[in-house]
Amino acid sequence: MFEEDQETLAAEYVLGTLSAEEREHAEALRSFDPEFDAAVKQWERRLGELNVMVEAVEPPAEVWDKIKSEIGVEAPAIAEAEATGDAEHAADLESSEGVDAADFLFVEAGSTQPDETAGQDAETAADEMAAPPAGKRAGVERGADIVRLRRRVGRWRGSAIALAAIAAVLAAYIAISQVKPDLIPPRLRAVGADLIARTMPTPERGPTDRLVAVLQQQPIAPAFLLTVDTQQRNVIVRRVSAGQENGRSYELWLIAGRSTPPKSLGVVGSDEFTERPLPASVDVDTLRAATFAVSLEPAGGSPTGAPTGPVLFTGKPVDSLPAAPPPTPKT
Amino acid sequence: MLTQAELVGLLAEIAKGDAAAFERLYGATRAKLYGVLLRILGRPELADEVMQEAYLKVWKSAASFDPAVASPITWMVAIARNRAIDIVRKRGEASIEDEPEALSVAADTPPPLARREMTEELKRLLACLGKLDPEKQRIVLLAYYSGWSREQLARKLDIPVNTIKTWLRRSLLEIRGCMGS
Repeated sequence: MFEEDQETLAAEYVLGTLSAEEREHAEALRSFDPEFDAAVKQWERRLGELNVMVEAVEPPAEVWDKIKSEIGVEAPAIAEAEATGDAEHAADLESSEGVDAADFLFVEAGSTQPDETAGQDAETAADEMAAPPAGKRAGVERGADIVRLRRRVGRWRGSAIALAAIAAVLAAYIAISQVKPDLIPPRLRAVGADLIARTMPTPERGPTDRLVAVLQQQPIAPAFLLTVDTQQRNVIVRRVSAGQENGRSYELWLIAGRSTPPKSLGVVGSDEFTERPLPASVDVDTLRAATFAVSLEPAGGSPTGAPTGPVLFTGKPVDSLPAAPPPTPKT
Repeated sequence: MLTQAELVGLLAEIAKGDAAAFERLYGATRAKLYGVLLRILGRPELADEVMQEAYLKVWKSAASFDPAVASPITWMVAIARNRAIDIVRKRGEASIEDEPEALSVAADTPPPLARREMTEELKRLLACLGKLDPEKQRIVLLAYYSGWSREQLARKLDIPVNTIKTWLRRSLLEIRGCMGS
């Protein structure tokens, strides 16, 4: 059902008050759910008028020079543009603000009669808020590339948004790895400890480009571990502590962009490991920028080729290992 | 400033790859978008970067603009804000922690702005915002203009984050109810 939770998620996404994880989740929902996407667009229109209050500021001339030189090489194309948007978004995985369990009160919306004096007050208020900052904000000072996994691990504190249809939102930790799976970044190990530290069932492989993803529900309970091998062109899903499907099936999806329909990577089997081939059309860059998601489908998988059930887990990759050396492992 | 219809026409041309139309669109909208971005990002060099990204996205996805769903300027502002907020979220709370003075809401003594042209939609939105308690108006507007998260709103306004959540949720649903869908 598309109810208040979804509606306020769309609204807060547009307003800008969501944390990085929640934004990521909302982005994934936009890919899956046209109704949600439409709600986002409605909110963009509703709130977008506030831009009128913002004082126009002339940008430096070189901004246009740079744009102009770029458009010389990039022709308009819807699909391409959407893909770019998603790739941009992939970078957002890196940090976040704390997320608390949601416990919203809901109060029915009041009168629908706009009233003129209230509007004027609001206009004054909008003017005040829209004014440029009094002092120069030096706040956004950090390098853009502070990575990586460390912030997410500790901060994920469960489903922030009380989404009726969504049982949980998962964080995905994916590292392009040339290491063995048992050398998965220690920060992940801190999360999944012994579960992750075990080797994957493909010991004969040498170092290759390999994406490793941990999908987890709680800081101490990883649900899935994914290994995406870009040379073998397969993905191995390891069930760690995902709940029982109760006669239904978990299905894994790869979302390459908003304009591209989610690609099924197949149903996650009931055994501990499921190996699935990667679609031939998906290249490594796409994998790095993609969103992985797991939905709950009728037994045997979606009958339509597109997700039909609730999207339980979503996550986006980061494309590097943490820069810091591993801490001394506990024994 | 071009009229809305003219901007819609430009976007249609841009969708076909018309670089001259794109230059006109840029000329007509750059100062507004830059103002929006500066307000959120604070630093000109970041705003410059996001300007480039946003306009490239406009160039490449002009064909997906639907005048039935959005106005050109709200569509473009949404693209720019979205990217800007992604960036500030990525930087997380560091900016607050590193800059204690940012904890105070310093931006509250604005220069008087000239009376602007008000669209019908804006009047409707303001009328609906005006029905909210002043404190709730304030958080909605601060969130929109400054790109603050719930956490930042809570810290800067010294209001518990759960209260912020509740207020935002109520306020947004009230706005929707008031404006009609």
